[in-house]
Amino acid sequence: MSAMQLYTIVGAAIFLLALHGLLMTTDSIRRLIAVNLMGAGTFLIMIALAARISPPDPVLHALVVTGLVVAISATALALRLITSAAIAQHSQDSENKGDGDLSEDVKP
Amino acid sequence: MSALLTWTSALPVLIILSSLIPGLLIFATPEHARTRRTVLNLTGIVVKLILVGLMLRGVSQGLEFRFELNFLPLAPLVLHGDALSLQFITLSSILWLATTIYAIGYLEGSPLRSRFFGYFSLCVSATVGLALAGNLVTFLLFYELLTLSTFPLVVHRGTPAALRAGRVYLAYTLGGGALLLMGIALLHALIATPDFVPGGYLLQHIDNYSLGFQVAFVLMIAGLGVKAALIPLHSWLPQAMVAPAPVSALLHAVAVVKAGAFGIIRVVYDVYGVEASTLLSLTQPLLWLAAATMIYASVRALQQQDIKRRLAFSTVSQVSYITLGVALAGPVAAVGAIVHLVHQGLMKVTLFFCAGNFAETLGIHKVQEMDGLGKRMPWTMAAFSVGALGMIGVPPIAGFISKMYLGMGALEVDQPWVVLVLAGSALLNAAYFLPLLYRGWFGKPPAKGWKEDNFYGQRFETHWMLLIPALFTAVLSILVGVFAGSIFSPLGWSELIVSREFVQ
Amino acid sequence: MTYALVSLSVPLFCALLLTLAGPKLDSRHAGQIAIVCSALSLVAAWFALMQMAELNQTILLELGGWESGLAIRLRLNPLSSLLLLFTAFMHVLIGVYAAFSRQGVSRDFWPLSSFLHGSLAALWLSADLFNLYITLELLGLTAVAMVALAGKKAYKPAANYLILSLVASLFYLLGVALIYGRYGSLDVVLLSLQTQSDLLTRIALLIMTAGLMLKAALWPLHLWLPAAHANAPTAVSALLSGLVVKGPLFILFLLWSEVAPVDLAQQIGPVLAIAGMIALVAGGLSAMRSPYIKTLVAYSTVAQLGYAMMALGLLLTWQLPQMHVALWLFVIAHGLAKATLFLAAGEMQATLGTKRISGLRGATQTVPVAMFAFAVAGGSLIGLPPSGGFLAKWVLLQPLLSEPQNWPWAFGVLLGTLVSAAYIFRVVAISFDRARINPPDIRPDRVGHWLALLPALMVWGMALTGDWLIQLLAGSSV
Repeated sequence: MSAMQLYTIVGAAIFLLALHGLLMTTDSIRRLIAVNLMGAGTFLIMIALAARISPPDPVLHALVVTGLVVAISATALALRLITSAAIAQHSQDSENKGDGDLSEDVKP
Repeated sequence: MSALLTWTSALPVLIILSSLIPGLLIFATPEHARTRRTVLNLTGIVVKLILVGLMLRGVSQGLEFRFELNFLPLAPLVLHGDALSLQFITLSSILWLATTIYAIGYLEGSPLRSRFFGYFSLCVSATVGLALAGNLVTFLLFYELLTLSTFPLVVHRGTPAALRAGRVYLAYTLGGGALLLMGIALLHALIATPDFVPGGYLLQHIDNYSLGFQVAFVLMIAGLGVKAALIPLHSWLPQAMVAPAPVSALLHAVAVVKAGAFGIIRVVYDVYGVEASTLLSLTQPLLWLAAATMIYASVRALQQQDIKRRLAFSTVSQVSYITLGVALAGPVAAVGAIVHLVHQGLMKVTLFFCAGNFAETLGIHKVQEMDGLGKRMPWTMAAFSVGALGMIGVPPIAGFISKMYLGMGALEVDQPWVVLVLAGSALLNAAYFLPLLYRGWFGKPPAKGWKEDNFYGQRFETHWMLLIPALFTAVLSILVGVFAGSIFSPLGWSELIVSREFVQ
Repeated sequence: MTYALVSLSVPLFCALLLTLAGPKLDSRHAGQIAIVCSALSLVAAWFALMQMAELNQTILLELGGWESGLAIRLRLNPLSSLLLLFTAFMHVLIGVYAAFSRQGVSRDFWPLSSFLHGSLAALWLSADLFNLYITLELLGLTAVAMVALAGKKAYKPAANYLILSLVASLFYLLGVALIYGRYGSLDVVLLSLQTQSDLLTRIALLIMTAGLMLKAALWPLHLWLPAAHANAPTAVSALLSGLVVKGPLFILFLLWSEVAPVDLAQQIGPVLAIAGMIALVAGGLSAMRSPYIKTLVAYSTVAQLGYAMMALGLLLTWQLPQMHVALWLFVIAHGLAKATLFLAAGEMQATLGTKRISGLRGATQTVPVAMFAFAVAGGSLIGLPPSGGFLAKWVLLQPLLSEPQNWPWAFGVLLGTLVSAAYIFRVVAISFDRARINPPDIRPDRVGHWLALLPALMVWGMALTGDWLIQLLAGSSV
């Protein structure tokens, strides 16, 4: 087995494990971590594929860099949203304590 | 778009606009501006009648009225005024006049009149558009618009019963519209849908697509049969009786039911053509269906104790006379069918006006309550009698003429059993109408007085705007029967149409 | 091509400007700038479309002057120019609504909506798989931020939406990597000449399809959509349902009609078409059962996307260019109609103070214009003539009906029509209830109601240009 194949398989395994984790948890932070792991798997596969020729393909490296930028900014946004949602939920819970939830929220 | 807009191409559009524009303006009219609304209504009607008169003259001289606008590939929007469309337009325009006057009187003082008359005008525009439609796609367009513009009228009262009836009405008519769309799209996919031609345009393709044509026919007749109230698609009509009386008149005589029947005439004569329909063995099942509807609905009418419901089932039965005449596929029966389109409209609108008068004046809704009505409301009762006797087929009222032609037509195409069906239906008609007349004229008025008595001691037996339209249509029903021999009577005009349809 | 680039860059610059200006600009001025930029973009898109209608061919542009293969290529054809125009048009309509209706929007709406406009424009013009990934991400992030504009209650749906969106993008990205690893190219046009139906290509295409279907909320990956779309501010819901879900659909279309080899496309076609048919019925049934106005409208998006998916599936199965026309007519008609539905729903909610459909009793009297707008737009979803929805359905039906063996598909369309009629008229019928009227909380906002009606009138007006639209789209079929 070549190094390239090994890394590809490892990347795919990380991707699938992370997907499994994503589907199995409901906690937002855990799900976000799972998404990041899926990203890591994808990037690993991309870097492995870049090594299929010699010298390694610079286009894929460039794509990975771009992908990382996207992933970081998306994660930042997600973290901000998740914490805000948690704070909003917390304050709502303390407001509604005792009198039940009568609000007409649109539920999925 | 056509290069030049001449008066002959503009006229069909103007006829539609003459009710559409007043309709839109009425929507914008404040509720209390009663005079403005009435003026708008009447102006629209007068303009429409003048335009229709112009077109009648033009068509009898052989002028071509055609308007075209790009729409779908190979299926432009076409408005085309031919003899058959004029038959329908003239009927609906004249009845629009009568019904509008009636409605103004009927709804006096009730809320939401601007909305009511707005949709009323839209409904007439859709009907006229449907009559003028020059091909199937255009027909479909107005057919759906008719559904949409009548729905608010059916639910006008906004009561739970009205809403229930409205939902049933929509379920039936939108379902029917979807089937009609499928049928038309199927036909278009097979051979495109050019303008309606007397004698149809299918015959040359009949060998290649007979299955497709048959399926399309079934789909279209099912779609049209909903509005024409063929069994088993008729149930919406008696339920829609909860609507105000002018709406019932509109549904039964002027627009909706007629739109279905008119569509069946168009499909059989101007799309399939009598020859192709017979070759595809489509007319015989339609004939059976129409005959069954006639008898079944008459029997059901006999069981009804509510006057309006009895009239509703009578409509179901009477409209299938038109389908029956079409399905007989002979020229004489065709005359009967086309003329009955007008005759049934006049007589049935009279009956509904009268039923509305009974309800509004004395609060009478049931057959048993009609005893002695003739003494309190002789004029209305007389008009009612004209309508009822005409439905039975007593000469010289309009209904007699249509039945005679239908009977002769049946014999002409060698289907004598249809004469038996007609006779049976006439007997049943008599059985469910004569008791009403007997009670009205010879029954004793209730000893403790009427349930309610509005307009008592006034100049007329009821509000004049309720009485005049009923008398007007009753007189018309007699006149079209008496002067049936003249060329400008509905009968003379129908013969003109049929001579063009069957000339090939 | 110049016009198209203007149409793309104006909203992008506008977005940057509004972001940099930050709180220095108040909401009103920001709104004015954004609307003017959308309008400029609209004009440019119009010129691009006219140019395309005349030339009727594809223009390719290599960015940065690199040679093909290395350069990122943009592509303009009648379809992409029409979509540019459509996007700009929707932004103008909804921007005007957001600026002038009483409901209004927060200041942050404007830079985000400009970003959304720019990223969509870039998406329509891209012909490079990785570039499409970037636009997809940009679209997703902007959309999430816009959902969050609704305030605290929307944070949770927005976070869920973001996570789903990221997962979907990663699926897509993984597929792109595999394709690149296999063929050494990312350019759609070049790939269409190279691809073969081997195992790796299959896997890559399937992974990408799963991601895109998730993003476009195509059945059965639609479950996130109602929560996200129903919780967003009114104007945002309209943009999300009307435009954003169409982006991934476009990529899916490019992927299967161009990149994938024909035999693979023919295999996936029936699967997509059947999923579309199920979406049509299942989405419609969910809409019929929904107790809330906005959720009903959101489920109707799921259902209506079924039509588009069906058209795409049959396009692939039979390789029929006519289906391509139906697909994009559906997209445009649905976008306009859905804008009205969400705006009208939002206006009615605000005026009547209820989110429930049962609260719409008497709406024909209390909020006549908004209710009328709802009904008119609904008519296009049902496909009543002569609306845009009818146009699309008609084009879709033609090939289905011409051969008896295809009639079962037509039956699916019939079923879809009936179900949409059922959920639209469920709302309309309630609004005529005069016995138990739900009185309005506040005086109706006339401007907002009339602006909500505008897109619905447009979708019915589409019929007048029907012949022209069909020919334009037919000319750009691949």
